[in-house]
Amino acid sequence: MIMPRGQQLLLPAKPLFIVMSLFMALLMNMLENVGLLGNAAWMPDFLALVLLFWSVHQPQRVGIGWAFILGLACDVHQVSFLGQHALAYTVQGFLATLIHRRLLWFSVPSQALQVLPLFAISHAISMVLRMSLSGSLVGWSMFFAPMIEACLWPIVSVILLAPQRRAPDPDENRPL
Amino acid sequence: MPLGTLDRTPPPFFKQGATPLHKLIFFSCLSVLIMFCDVRWQITQPLRSLFSLALAPIQWMAQQPGFLSARVEVFLQDKGDAQEEAAVFKKQLLDQSLQASQVDQLQLENKQLRSLLELKDRVQTTGQVAQVIYDAADPFTRKVILDKGSISGIHVSSPVMDEAGVVGQVTRVYPLISEATLIIDKNHSIPVLNNRTGARGVAFGESGGAPLLELRYMAANADIQENDILSTSGVDGVYPPGVPVAKVIKIERSADSMFARILCEPLGRAQGVRHLMVLEPVGKDLPARPEMEVVKTPSRSGGR
Repeated sequence: MIMPRGQQLLLPAKPLFIVMSLFMALLMNMLENVGLLGNAAWMPDFLALVLLFWSVHQPQRVGIGWAFILGLACDVHQVSFLGQHALAYTVQGFLATLIHRRLLWFSVPSQALQVLPLFAISHAISMVLRMSLSGSLVGWSMFFAPMIEACLWPIVSVILLAPQRRAPDPDENRPL
Repeated sequence: MPLGTLDRTPPPFFKQGATPLHKLIFFSCLSVLIMFCDVRWQITQPLRSLFSLALAPIQWMAQQPGFLSARVEVFLQDKGDAQEEAAVFKKQLLDQSLQASQVDQLQLENKQLRSLLELKDRVQTTGQVAQVIYDAADPFTRKVILDKGSISGIHVSSPVMDEAGVVGQVTRVYPLISEATLIIDKNHSIPVLNNRTGARGVAFGESGGAPLLELRYMAANADIQENDILSTSGVDGVYPPGVPVAKVIKIERSADSMFARILCEPLGRAQGVRHLMVLEPVGKDLPARPEMEVVKTPSRSGGR
C-alpha cells in the first residue's frame, strides 16, 4: 500500500468496531434531540460524520448501501420525509468514494477543510428537498451544522483510528 | 512482525461489484421513489413501521439519561418547592371541585333538555394518558413522539390535549409509538370558535416558525379583540367541541388587505410538556357525511 511518509502503519479495522461506531453515532444523534436540544437546526449530524469517515477509510466495507439504509433509519426517527436523509447520505457516500484516495494524503486539519463541502452538500440536499416538497424553511442556523461537523472531523479521526493505532504485539510494558 | 498486523485480504480484482456511479444512480432513484410514495400516496407506512420497530431499542437507550436525570432531579428537589407545588395543586383542585360537582347535575339536565328537544346526545369522548418521548428532530416541522402506539389503541387523527387546552393531533401511528403534529405546525389547521362572539374561524400554525397560531380569513372589520379565547368548534369531527385552543394576542389591520392578521398564543403548552391526554377521535360517533351530489356538466359532444 502506498502511504504518505512518516505515517504509522495501521492495524486492520475490525468490522465489529465499525458497526458499533455507526450504532453509537445513531444513538448520539437520538440523544441530541431526545434529551438535550430538541430540534435545533444547527445540531451536527454524527451519523453523517461517522459514515463519511468510514467510507473514506474503509470504502470496501462501508459504502453507499449502508448510507442508504442508515439514512432511512434516520428519516423514520426524525419523522422527515422517508428518503430525504437516504438521498443525502447516498450522495455524500458517492462523493466520499470519489475523494477517498486523495484525501488521506493530507494532514487531518486540511482533510477537515476538504470534507466541509461534502457535509454542506448533504445538508443542502435535505434543505432543497424540504423547500420543494413542503415549502418550509429554517433559518440560517442550519449552515452551522456542516461547519460543526467539519470541526469534529479531527476528533473523530483520533477516536475511530485509535484501535488501529495500537501496538501489533502487546506485551506487559505496552498492554494496549 | 506478527500475523494480523496488516490487512492481508487482497482487494478483489474481478468481483468488484457495481461501480460507485451505478450505486449512486440506483440508490438515488430508490430514495426519490420512496419519497414520492411517501409524500404523494402515503403508502410507505409498513416500511416506516418496520424501521420504527428496529429503532425502538436504540430509542429506549437514548431515553435513559433523560429519565435518570429526571429521577435525580426529583431526588434532589427542595422540600419547600415540593410543598409549594402541592399547595398550588390543592388550590386548583378546590377550584375545580365546585365545577365538577355541578357537572353531573348539568349533564343530567342537558340530557333531559336534549331529549325534550329531540336532539342527538352530545358526543362523549374517552381518552388515555401518553408520555412525550421526544420532540421530532426534523427542524422543519413541529411534532412530538408519544410513547403509545396502535398496540395501546391509539388511532390516527386522535386529538391530543393537556390540562390547559388542545396541543395537537395524532398524525401517524406505529406499533409502539405514535407521532402527534402540534397545532403550531405550519401545515396544521384547526376550526375554532370565538368564545366571546361565537364567530367561527380556522386557525393555522404561524408560517414564520414562531410557536403561535394565526387566525386566517377573518375580515378586517370582524369583531375580534385581544385576549379573546378561541375554543374548538367541533365542526371538524376530530376535536370535541368547547376545548380551549388559543388566546388572541395581536391583531394587525392593514388597509391593503381584506383580511386582518390575527396572531394567537396556544393555551396548551406545546413544548416542555411531558404528559398528554390522547382522546378518541370524535368522528367515529358522528353520522356519515352526506354524499356529494355530482353536478352534471352539460355534454359538449356533437357540436362540430
